[in-house]
Amino acid sequence: MHRVGSASNGNNSTRPRKEKRLTYVLNDSDDSKHCAGINCLALLMSAASDGSDYLFTGSRDGRLKRWALGVDRATCLATFESHVDWVNDAVLVGDSTLVSCSSDTTLKTWNALSFGTCTRTLRQHSDYVTCLAAAEKNNNTVASGGLGGEVFIWDIEAALAPSKCNDAMVDESSNGINGSGNLLPLTSLRTINSSDNMSMHTTQTQGYVPISAKGHKDSVYALTMNESGTILVSGGTEKVVRVWDARSGSKTLKLRGHTDNIRALLLDSSGRYCLSGSSDSMIRLWDIGQQRCVHSYAVHTDSVWALASTPTFSHVYSGGRDFSLYLTDLQTRESSLLCTGEHPILQLALHDDSIWVASTDSSVHRWPAEGCDPQKIFQRGNSFLAGNLSFSRARVSPEGSTPVPVYKEPTLTILGTPAIVQHEVLSNKRHVLTKDASGSVKLWEITKGIVVEDYGKVSFEEKKEELFEMVSIPAWFTVDTRLGSLSVHLDTPQCFSAEMYSADLNIVGKPEDDKVNLARETLKGLLAHWLRKRKQRMGSPAPANGELLSGKETASRSSTHSRIEVDGSSENDAMVYPPFEFSVTSPPSIITEGTHGGPWRKKITDLDGTKDEKDFPWWCLDCVLNNRLPPRENTKCSFYLQPCEGSSVQILTQGKLSAPRILRIHKVVNYVIEKMVLDKPLDSLSAEGSIAPGLTGSQSQHQAVGDGSFRSGFQPWQKLRPSIEILCYNQVLSPEMSLATVRAYVWKKSDDLVLNYRLVQGR
Amino acid sequence: MGAAGSKLEKALGDQFPEGERYFGLENFGNTCYCNSVLQALYFCVPFREQLLEYYANNKSIADAEENLLTCLADLFSQISSQKKKTGVIAPKRFVQRLKKQNELFRSYMHQDAHEFLNFLLNELVDILEKEAQSAKNDQETSPPSEKAANGPKNGLANGAKKEPLVTWVHKNFQGILTNETRCLRCETVTARDETFFDLSLDIEQNSSITSCLKNFSSTETLNAEDKFFCDKCCSLQEAQKRMKIKKPPHILVIHLKRFKYIEQLGRYKKLSYRVVFPLELKLSDTAENSDIEYSLFAVVVHVGSGPNHGHYVSLVKSHNHWLFFDDENVEMIDESAVQTFFGSSQEYSSNTDHGYILFYESIGSGNRN
Repeated sequence: MHRVGSASNGNNSTRPRKEKRLTYVLNDSDDSKHCAGINCLALLMSAASDGSDYLFTGSRDGRLKRWALGVDRATCLATFESHVDWVNDAVLVGDSTLVSCSSDTTLKTWNALSFGTCTRTLRQHSDYVTCLAAAEKNNNTVASGGLGGEVFIWDIEAALAPSKCNDAMVDESSNGINGSGNLLPLTSLRTINSSDNMSMHTTQTQGYVPISAKGHKDSVYALTMNESGTILVSGGTEKVVRVWDARSGSKTLKLRGHTDNIRALLLDSSGRYCLSGSSDSMIRLWDIGQQRCVHSYAVHTDSVWALASTPTFSHVYSGGRDFSLYLTDLQTRESSLLCTGEHPILQLALHDDSIWVASTDSSVHRWPAEGCDPQKIFQRGNSFLAGNLSFSRARVSPEGSTPVPVYKEPTLTILGTPAIVQHEVLSNKRHVLTKDASGSVKLWEITKGIVVEDYGKVSFEEKKEELFEMVSIPAWFTVDTRLGSLSVHLDTPQCFSAEMYSADLNIVGKPEDDKVNLARETLKGLLAHWLRKRKQRMGSPAPANGELLSGKETASRSSTHSRIEVDGSSENDAMVYPPFEFSVTSPPSIITEGTHGGPWRKKITDLDGTKDEKDFPWWCLDCVLNNRLPPRENTKCSFYLQPCEGSSVQILTQGKLSAPRILRIHKVVNYVIEKMVLDKPLDSLSAEGSIAPGLTGSQSQHQAVGDGSFRSGFQPWQKLRPSIEILCYNQVLSPEMSLATVRAYVWKKSDDLVLNYRLVQGR
Repeated sequence: MGAAGSKLEKALGDQFPEGERYFGLENFGNTCYCNSVLQALYFCVPFREQLLEYYANNKSIADAEENLLTCLADLFSQISSQKKKTGVIAPKRFVQRLKKQNELFRSYMHQDAHEFLNFLLNELVDILEKEAQSAKNDQETSPPSEKAANGPKNGLANGAKKEPLVTWVHKNFQGILTNETRCLRCETVTARDETFFDLSLDIEQNSSITSCLKNFSSTETLNAEDKFFCDKCCSLQEAQKRMKIKKPPHILVIHLKRFKYIEQLGRYKKLSYRVVFPLELKLSDTAENSDIEYSLFAVVVHVGSGPNHGHYVSLVKSHNHWLFFDDENVEMIDESAVQTFFGSSQEYSSNTDHGYILFYESIGSGNRN
């Protein structure tokens, strides 16, 4: 047993990161689908009678999508991709502006009817932005709330207004035209706003600053605004509802009553009545004029996370953690269970006689709702009176039992790809095994970004054990699944620690001992499209100056690093080897940030060359443009080579030896044989073989051995070639094991490895 | 010495409890940390009775190998079997075994009573578990004929052994804490249980045990740079963390953190804060939300201005009398005198006698195992 000591509170601590990281997000084959829970919905009704209605969905996969809604189908028309973390809320402003907020601490404005044009990124929040509110009849006012109690009120028109002196906090991430004013031909149909011509290079502080509504002591999780944009209501982990003057940001009043966090808020059009949903499972109706709670409704059995009301504010639709959607008459307190799903409900959007339901699942469902005449639902029977205390619902129900849902099936489903919920990096450090929310187990190759094996619904643990390989590769990347898919993170210098023989990757035309750096080749694969576009753009004289500037910057940066290795020629290294070619049909997205402008996300096929060098971390450019890698200390493995006890074979060695950690045991065998047969001095071997003496204070350079000379060396002594085996801890080692594998699985110590050799017995 | 004992006997007179013994313990060079804890444990009546029962059952076997458990049992047996009602006993054998077992207690430096208590309880548990394990092994290797005869018992024994072993030390002192973390996004509560033999409480000036326990269980928000990684959300989220007592122990031992490391001084400073510890304690913040009542029966008191100086004494309640044990000396004190050991309201006070380890026994039979 563990020793039982005093129990006391402990604290966690986090470590700061030094250099910017580069992340790539692997996409499944179907890019028209979300692959994580849907946090928010926004409906855009068509003005024309024959026009299409649009639904906007914001997801935990970091993206928003626009769907054209038909009677029996929904078509994905656009993907809005620029956020680098969860999209938490989205609202429509005016006729054509979509505003989203994210856990990446930003708000973004988009051209709602474009194919993904981001018009502005607004940085004012210091932590996750959780919620937005828009005034229906005021085309410009949007409020945002987030962690840390931050609430800001934005004038979107002012925030988007062209200005020569924009703040550095406001950046441009649109496609098409860059700040320098150079016009490039567009390869796809995109709508360009005039604001795309913003300059990004000014550092003046003058610029738009939103109104700050100060007063929340804790995080804000819900916001709502009245039609004219004069009243703002917010709630969160403080457990109170706060009311603000939206024009000045000043506090108006505080409403108490909920016993747990506020998670959803709704205001009627005049701003007189407010509905709140809480983690205490209650819905409350507040009269803001009278500053009191008029009604409380106990219909849910768990937290209430989503609210939607009929246009006349006579009925409320509510959903939450109990997977259930309820309809409640605010006056009579009559309530009905409309439907029950399989996931907690996150948001609702009423659409004529239907309601869209978003949940932690990646699919969105449309259910009948009778929004124009809710009484029809109560006439179907099975309604009950909502109590005003939690858990009292059963007592007032006529049957005394749980309600039966009015509807069994949704009328339409927008399917999503199930999110990845479990993952394991395999020991070869190139494959990741995943399980998704539907139970499917897949094997991904992260240097190509594709699924190489789909095992279906099998046991994840069994498959993991089945796929185990006894190999030891440094951990050159980390993985997380917060976006519902695999996000692969590369950090310098750790990511450059892994090498493999080209032969093992089936790269043809290379010498036997040629090695590739996994991170370098992956970066070249990721940036191949951008490099091609950049080369095309470099043909014009104007970017030449930029190139020179970039070169200077890189040179000054590299001067701070000593002993930088330069491998091969630039022409040769520009080639992307087949194991590192990323798919063009489902390309990954890159998430990173450069020296300015903040983090961004973009598909590798959308990197059209206009992205400046300043937008990438310097170490990535150093790698793919200048073939420079940071100093790496762990690519070598030191070891001692000794005869087995009692062995008749003996060669003289010069103490400690050093070799690449990926060196195979059969190379050590060859080394011993050469020493025995050729009886050459040790010094001359370093020029020929892969093994070199480990001299103090320096690491010898690896030199490729010529196959021809090696084989010719064997020819005269073929008859006399003895059979040698290598052991560690009296265990005979397989010739295919690498030194790193022996160290990890046989030696298992931090000391220098000790290998023994002997003649194969039985000869 | 004899005079003091006689004095105590006279003071109690006819009220001297039947069968009880009040013996001081000799100091072998700064062993008051040991003596004070031993007195508190001796007057933890359920613990004493079970230890003496263990000693009676294992006396012949125990002679084979000496350990801290046998030495402690031997010491308690010596005290309880004395002809005299008062006097002094030398815990020489126990102290020698203690110094042999743990290097920390080998020097003649002053030691921390709480460290000693922790070491002792865990050592007793280790010994009992090893004994149970070896007994189990003996059972499995018995001859076939005997095994056939013992079949049903053996099967039962095997079944009983599947769960972690619960010794009588656990039954007296062990409670369970639960660490609950609630993600504020998906509101999933993650609970992690943790066993304890005592609670270490942070203290504040002019506070009480009830308020210190409340602080111990208070909700802490994980936010900003210290977010919680939620397995359900697969990401960092705000969360609320709270500690609750899931299973209260029969004997609740409370350690007041009176020694605080001062970075600038490079050493520990004693916090002489006044912390009121009641004679009756009600635990209200438990996971089961049922009130548990405890009664104070012993206090280990630290005397002095710093952790490496000074002295330890014990206050013990026995048969409704309060006794003061100071190594060899045993005196009777008024119950009202217990509050003089709460601590000082002023920072520089002449009073340096402060309650350090509190021993409460639960009232009522609900918690007995």
